[in-house]
Amino acid sequence: MAAIIQIVVLGLALGGVYALMGSGLSLIFGVMRIVNLAHPALIMSGAYVAYWGFRLWGLDPFVMLPVAMVILAATGVLLYKLVFEREAKSARYSEMTVLLTFAVAMVLEGALATAFTNTQRVTSPGYATDAFFIGSVFIPKGQLYAGITSLVIIGLLALFLKFSRFGYAIRATTQNREAAELLGVNVNLVGLVSFAIGVALAGAAGSLVSFVFSFFPSKHWEWIAVLMSLVVLGGMGSILGTVVAAYLLSVVAAFVGFFFGATWSTLTFYLALFVVLLVRPQGLFGEKPELA
Amino acid sequence: MTELLQVTDVVAGYGDGPAILNGASVTVQPGKVHCIIGPNGAGKSTLLKAICGMLRIRQGAVRFKGDSLVGLRPDQVLRRGICFVPQERALFPKMTVRENLRMGGFSLTDTTDLERRIDEIEDRFPILRDRRDQHAGTMSGGQQQTLAMARTMILKPDIVMLDEPSLGLAPKIVQEVFGIMQVMAEAGITILIVEQNALMGLKHADWGVVLDLGRTLFEGPAAEVLADPRIQELYLGGKKVA
Repeated sequence: MAAIIQIVVLGLALGGVYALMGSGLSLIFGVMRIVNLAHPALIMSGAYVAYWGFRLWGLDPFVMLPVAMVILAATGVLLYKLVFEREAKSARYSEMTVLLTFAVAMVLEGALATAFTNTQRVTSPGYATDAFFIGSVFIPKGQLYAGITSLVIIGLLALFLKFSRFGYAIRATTQNREAAELLGVNVNLVGLVSFAIGVALAGAAGSLVSFVFSFFPSKHWEWIAVLMSLVVLGGMGSILGTVVAAYLLSVVAAFVGFFFGATWSTLTFYLALFVVLLVRPQGLFGEKPELA
Repeated sequence: MTELLQVTDVVAGYGDGPAILNGASVTVQPGKVHCIIGPNGAGKSTLLKAICGMLRIRQGAVRFKGDSLVGLRPDQVLRRGICFVPQERALFPKMTVRENLRMGGFSLTDTTDLERRIDEIEDRFPILRDRRDQHAGTMSGGQQQTLAMARTMILKPDIVMLDEPSLGLAPKIVQEVFGIMQVMAEAGITILIVEQNALMGLKHADWGVVLDLGRTLFEGPAAEVLADPRIQELYLGGKKVA
């Protein structure tokens, strides 16, 4: 029994971080219909911002988190203006954005590898290797802090979307772009800001990931499958869905890891991706995909 | 005759594609209900989209209260006082009824004024108050259409353009939709409606406009249009009608 509780606790602790990693992807897809294959590479960039803050000035990843968010948000604005805005009117928007985000991921990976080499990195603040004990169950401090921080950030995002005027505009654009435009929403501005927020969330996730996982530039390919499975299981574009899927799959992966070994736990996400696409392509909270 | 909106010989189409409208004209008089009819592909919806700024007008004139609307964006046309309710999915399905009403007043910046206007709408359409916290997408088709149409009244517009509001609704519900349109007209809103069911549309209208192949064939008082032999031919005789 204690073993079961332990597995669930470890799964839940990581679930929050996965949720934050996936929510930016989900937001960008929801508003812009961009499947941002570069999202994990942007998370990776956030992790390097935290790493160098820690390495050079001994700054805690939690201090670097807002810095990474600002730097990544600026990157997001730049990417949007240079790469995606001109595609907005393209008839082949979907194909083009998939190819472009793929290219952006390659460029980021190459730039990070050139600048920082392919060495495995991890930030190592004291709490990263410490743990709380409740009876015989242990909770890794780093994962706990990262999970709680992730939930707080996602909660703030949810409040912003639910109650602010701009949040209304973002939700309306996600659900019915044409109707939003007809009611006076500047959908181009909504696209730009949502993209920047989504990429800023990648920066925040990267800072937290920097002490939860070890990382190197090409590892983002491993993350994309994980994030895709969260977003697809949750329902494309549903942030709540992404969060629920993150906790669900994270706990399942923890069980798989316990019974079959750590190498198999990643397989959980890949399998989930396949099964969901076959059985329920709209995911938990998504709408039925339209044929056409 | 003082026209509120005068559309003259408009040519327009989607993107760089062929022109769908090839000389469409409409005269809109204040306080009246105008119904645009015509066979499938005549350009009825396209005409409304051209007026509201969703499509670029390539030739012709659109004058509203004397000012040209050509080249304006949808939000600019909206601020001038013309609301457009597009076909079928005009709502935000995963926002509540109340949130949908707030979106109706998105262009207003004074939130207390907005909430007061929403209260007025809810007084007029109590079903919207009953369903306030329900997601719009979970309501019946008729209720959704009620919301879409009532929502335009928040801005107190001069003209509301409705693109086939009866589409996909049961006959009894269609009657309700036309009832709401009457309520709007009585509130002083000028209506421009596109209707597939020509007889039904004209019966509820003051003015009829007949469109075919992107051109205005003729327009006139609804009763006259209804009785015109050319309508009989277009809809009941020679040409097949779906």
